[in-house]
Order: sequence, then structure tokens, then C-alpha cells
Amino acid sequence: MNDFSDIENELKKLRPVHPSHGFVARVEQAMADQEISEDKIIRPNPFRINWVGLGFGVAAAAVFLLLARINTEQRPEKGNKIAQAPSASETRSTSSGEFIPSAATQVVYNTRDEGLQFADASAQPQRRIRYQTHQTWQWRNPATGASLRVSYPSEEIVLIPISGQ
Amino acid sequence: MENVASHEDWRSCFSELAPGLLLFARQWVRSRADAEDIVQEAFIRFWRRNHAINNRALLYATVRSIALDLIRRNGRRARREAEAVSESEHVVEPQFELADEAQFALAAALDRLPHDQREVLVMKIWNDLTFAEIATALNISQNTAASRYRYALAALKKIFQPQ
Repeated sequence: MNDFSDIENELKKLRPVHPSHGFVARVEQAMADQEISEDKIIRPNPFRINWVGLGFGVAAAAVFLLLARINTEQRPEKGNKIAQAPSASETRSTSSGEFIPSAATQVVYNTRDEGLQFADASAQPQRRIRYQTHQTWQWRNPATGASLRVSYPSEEIVLIPISGQ
Repeated sequence: MENVASHEDWRSCFSELAPGLLLFARQWVRSRADAEDIVQEAFIRFWRRNHAINNRALLYATVRSIALDLIRRNGRRARREAEAVSESEHVVEPQFELADEAQFALAAALDRLPHDQREVLVMKIWNDLTFAEIATALNISQNTAASRYRYALAALKKIFQPQ
């Protein structure tokens, strides 16, 4: 290797061109920008469950099923009447003796921007927006005029993809 | 390997390595601006993935990988540019701060070396990598790295000290 020491020394005298004036500053800025965005990133736990929302959802479903069961149990009695003396009005009552959906409202009363996140190891960041709403569902029995209304608060999280820089 | 380097460590590491990294990247691109883009992307990727700051073999492998990706991506554009360059006066931005004619001739001779030899030479002379680090970065054996280095020096010596 000593044979080459002279040429090695000559090579070491060659100084590489320095980076352009703003290059080091640009890289440092890029590192700082990355750090800031890392701070804002929310890493969601994929197994986290919104128990409040789930509870209200289950309650609403239970009420709906209960109503459906009540309607089913009423049918044999009406069927007996129809068998005895069917009339146009009673037939109409039987066919319309169910609650039908009549209204649904969703009022958004709060919106919160929860920052950026990377979902499912995606390279594209997404903005996470949390909407807090109040939902109301209404059913009406056209035959009897009775109505049923279920209201419950809910939360909805929307992920909006952020396009490139 | 746990990475406990502070932000300041990374900054000083980059300031120290930047000229050598740029020279390394310039082997694949003709302009300093392109080389700077490659080095920036490589360094940020290396830093973000929380690699050990002293894992230089991986840093140079990252620069090499990004440079080769860039060449593949922009193959058509690069060919057009290469044709344009060959048709013009073959103006290439200098890679060294040349003090005299001898250095100019040495830099020109360096450009004529086979790419695999020049690559090892750049990593060894201007980036102070060990043969073990060079071997890891290029995915070759240490013996191969050392051989390429010797062949490169022999070729240069032959040009400058003809017997």
C-alpha cells in the first residue's frame, strides 16, 4: 500500500466543492419541519372503541327491535277480526299498522381538528376531524298517529387525505 | 442499535459529512443541484428512520439507492439531457476546488476511472470510510473493496508517473 502513498496524498489535496450556500440550512429546515409534523401526528390505537357511541347505538337498536316485536304480537288479534268480518278500513289498518321512519336529523354542534396522522402505515398524512353531533330518529304510525322519537349524541371521526406539498 | 443522538448531533454530523456526501452523489448526476436533492432526501430518510448516527455505511447505501432510483425514474429525461450535454461543450460543474493544472489533470483522470473503482476511491479518500464500511454500503466483500481501491490508485499512478 506504501507504493500508493504519494498518489493518495495528491488525491487528499483535492478538496470537494462546498455545498451551495443555502444547502445545509435547507436540510436543517427540512429536519425541523419533519420534527414539527412528527409532534402533531396522532398514532391512533386501532382497537380503541368509542363506548359511549356504541352504547347509544345499541340502545337505539334495542328500542327499534322492541317496537318491531310489539307490532308482530298485535297482528294475530287483528287477523281474527279480519277473519270474522273483513272491511276495507280494517284491512288498511292492518297493512299500515306499523311504525314507519318519518324523520331523521343530525345536528353538528362541535367540530374539532385533531391534527395529522398516518393511518395503516400509509405514507400519506391525513387530517383527523372529530364531529360531535346529536342525532334524532322519528317513526310514525300513520294508522294511529302515534309517533316515537329517539335522540342520542354521537361522535364521528373523518380522515381527510392531505395532498402532497 | 439505540440512537441517542441529539438534534444538534445530527446537525453537526450533516455539516461535517455534506461535502463528501455530495461528491459521492455527484457520481450519478452531473449537476450539483441534483446531487444536493439526493443527499437531502437520503439524509432526511436516514435521520427519520432513527438509524444510529455513526452507521455511515447505511447512510452511503441510502444515498446510492436514492441516486439509482432517481436515474431509473428519470431515465428518459437523463438520456435526453446526456445527449444535449454531449452535443454541447460537455459542460459539467466541477466537483473539486482545483488549485492548479496538476489538480485539474488529476480530477480529469479520476473521472476516467471505471465507476466501481471511483466509487470506492471517493468513499475512502474523501469520506474516510473503512473498507468494512465500504463493503457493507456496496454489498461487496472487504477484499473486493480493497482490490478496487488498489486498482484505482494503480491506474492513477500509471497516468501521472509513467515509466
